Amino acid sequence: MNDMNKGDIEVYEVDKLNILDCKKLKFQKEASGYLTLDFDGKIYHKVNPTRLIPFYSKDTYISINYENDEKEFREIGVIRSLSELEDEQRELIVTYLEYKYHMPEITKVYSIKDNMRGAIFVKADTTSGQKTICIRDWYQNFRMRGYDYLYVNDADGNKYFCNDIHKLDKKSQQILEMYT
Amino acid sequence: MNLKLSLPEGAGEEEISGIVYSLPANLDRDNKLIDGHFCVTREKILIYLDGKRTAEYDIKDYKEFVCQQQIGSSMALGITHSGETVFFCSFTQEHFLRYAELLKILDYYVRTGEFTEETEGDEPSCPNCGMPLEGAKECVYCQSKGRTLVRLIKRIAPYKKHFIIAVICTVLSELVWVLLPYLDRYVIDKYVIPRYESWGGFIAIVITIIGLVLAAGVFEFINMKSSFKVALNLGRDIRQEVFEKSQSLSMSSASKRTAGEMINRISGDAAKLEDFITANGKDAIVKILSLVIIGILLFVMDWRLALMTVLPVPVVFIIVNKLFETMAVRYTKVWKYSTKHSETLHDILNGIRVVKTYGSEVKEVQRYTACSETWAKSCVRAEIMWYLTTPFSEFILTIGNFFVLYFGGNMVLGNDMSLGQLIQFTTYVAMLYEPIRWLIQIPRNLADVSVSAGKVFEILDEESDVRDIDDPVDLDIKGDIEFDGVYFGYKVYNPVLKDISCRINQGEMIGIVGHSGVGKSTMINLIMRLYDCTQGEIRIDGVNIKNISQHSLRSQIGVVLQETFLFDGNVLENIAYAKPGATFEEVIRAAKIANAHDFITKLPDGYNTRVGNKGYQLSGGERQRIAIARAILNDPKIIILDEATASLDTQTEKQIQEALGKLTKGRTTIAIAHRLSTLSSADRLIVLDKGRLAEFGTHTELMRSKGVYYKLVMAQRQTTKMKAV
Repeated sequence: MNDMNKGDIEVYEVDKLNILDCKKLKFQKEASGYLTLDFDGKIYHKVNPTRLIPFYSKDTYISINYENDEKEFREIGVIRSLSELEDEQRELIVTYLEYKYHMPEITKVYSIKDNMRGAIFVKADTTSGQKTICIRDWYQNFRMRGYDYLYVNDADGNKYFCNDIHKLDKKSQQILEMYT
Repeated sequence: MNLKLSLPEGAGEEEISGIVYSLPANLDRDNKLIDGHFCVTREKILIYLDGKRTAEYDIKDYKEFVCQQQIGSSMALGITHSGETVFFCSFTQEHFLRYAELLKILDYYVRTGEFTEETEGDEPSCPNCGMPLEGAKECVYCQSKGRTLVRLIKRIAPYKKHFIIAVICTVLSELVWVLLPYLDRYVIDKYVIPRYESWGGFIAIVITIIGLVLAAGVFEFINMKSSFKVALNLGRDIRQEVFEKSQSLSMSSASKRTAGEMINRISGDAAKLEDFITANGKDAIVKILSLVIIGILLFVMDWRLALMTVLPVPVVFIIVNKLFETMAVRYTKVWKYSTKHSETLHDILNGIRVVKTYGSEVKEVQRYTACSETWAKSCVRAEIMWYLTTPFSEFILTIGNFFVLYFGGNMVLGNDMSLGQLIQFTTYVAMLYEPIRWLIQIPRNLADVSVSAGKVFEILDEESDVRDIDDPVDLDIKGDIEFDGVYFGYKVYNPVLKDISCRINQGEMIGIVGHSGVGKSTMINLIMRLYDCTQGEIRIDGVNIKNISQHSLRSQIGVVLQETFLFDGNVLENIAYAKPGATFEEVIRAAKIANAHDFITKLPDGYNTRVGNKGYQLSGGERQRIAIARAILNDPKIIILDEATASLDTQTEKQIQEALGKLTKGRTTIAIAHRLSTLSSADRLIVLDKGRLAEFGTHTELMRSKGVYYKLVMAQRQTTKMKAV
């Protein structure tokens, strides 16, 4: 529950972009792992930092939001760049975001098996170890975003990416060529 | 569903014997992979890391358990009685459904004190390929192709007469084609080479050849006629059955698939099966038969030459299959780019107004050109590959022919074989390649069609989860509705309605209010039994709705929704939809009560004016009044109004309210409206908050108690004032 007097009628200016002054932000980690924010004299529990452009940038434009007691979305504001935060505070947010966005990076591709029924099985090295990634409707879930960035959504909902497929070894690139 | 996937290695035997459920918890707080376990005993939740217990929690300290999805991972959480959230563990997505099921069991345990040890529910993913099964009993990807095919073949049974005729005719025409080279050999050896001058025998053979060719033509005609009859009837049967099934499935099954997907299954997949049967059904028998007959003939004629023809086939088989695989990837790319091309075209043309208003025509032309060019380039690449590989694969497939010609020629020159025999032999060799080519293609065709067949059978085999009991009651509904401890969620791990209990009296008008997503529409979906509640009971006139026949229940409920769907047809047909046997007078009476008669009269063709998708454009209010007339016509005992006036302006809303007033008179009415003023005529209001029934009473009572409803009214008044300013 967020600290507000019961009688107060909450004013939520939905149309105003609030770029946060990082000096005024004080995040703390709760025992449950959620973050608490002390900002402008108010305490917000279970705040939820969210990457606004997760494919383009991991540490700029981070929305700080929470759910009010009515389970409605409320945005406190947007951090323009995590670099504006103090080291310890930045560490807290980075750790939280790394935890929230579990997207292992593909570092090498060994083979891609196509079952000719819309699904492919990609055997690859990822930052979470070697695995065979099952991808259904691969033309939807194994997609290039732009020229370099590969975005993969597997059949269970796990996500993987490759920042620049052209930086992979030659063999991986050859294997990927057929499917990208 | 197996909820004891793996146990923590290294934990003591005594410890392990108490564990009822255990799932891998394979991520730590930094999202690094770990070897952890989330174990449940009858009293405690135990967390293990590398076989050592790192934390334990008392289940009774918690009031709720939540499975929360992150991005690419999920976590299991508990909410204590004091409202504090406690983190238990995180895991990757492949375990999500198992955790959802397990936390649901824990939730049920803390709520009722009953600990469920046996879990129902299907396995979430295929143990063979790892693909999610999504409720299907067997993986469509791993289903045995043979079994699916046998099921498909069994469906031919009603048309077996035509099928047998087709097979017999094909066999006969194949026999004719086998006989013809023999006659050729006879002509060459008896009349051409020795320059035999007696024309009598020659003419007789020519007449026989012409007769045989004509007979083959007749056989082919009968064969085509019969096999099309079988295939088209089979296609029609499958389409019809899938459609009928789609209508009888529950809403939760129906909403699992998009309309597009269902249309694809009814038309696309059924058509594929139809084509497969036409092209390959009887062919399978005939081709294999001709392969055997011609093979035997070749070996009988000269086993050495026959071996030369047959020996390269397995190697050729492998090479050609590899070539086809490479081709398939190229063509998949072409297909992918062509889909992207049509998507782009569709996108730009659909948004042409936006393109024009922003003056971005040039940019869009560039976008389209780029797309079109990529497609063209991929086509060129695939075609080049095709024209490079086809002659090559054809050459290696028929390579045996060259050996036969060389060695056979030598045998003719050495008088070991007659010229007629060689020609007969080479004709048979050429004939042998046809079934071989077909055999090479068959794995691909089979793979393709078994997916379609799998998808079709998946729907046909699906059991509706909302079913009538064996002996359902046809109830003459009066209108008392009672919710008794009802729980419901569209997804097991996310309950929308929790512990709803209330009683609605006959003839009462009840308004349901609450924030969006709180479960208002879900409540009425449950009354209509579009879904079955997961726990608790809903009773109408004291009878559990699961015991009332669905037809009897729904025919006595009238519904007016926010978005009125009018079928392609005229006004009369659309109103009479609720009661097909209604007389025209009944329809007019209903239209009069719905305040619709006057505007219908002014329409160009009166009650025969075509409306719906391609018909006369009616305004929102007019469509709504037709919907009300449709609801009235059946004289329903329960009326449901789901945001019936939400999309209308105040003036029209007044007219509709008037019509609704007449409709709801004396009938139990349940109305949902965002605009609270719309519910001013409600006798009592149900206020939902976070899925629970927060308040239930009259407007005055609820305003006095200053609870959730009061806040909603105040918030809306403020918005209205702001709008007025």
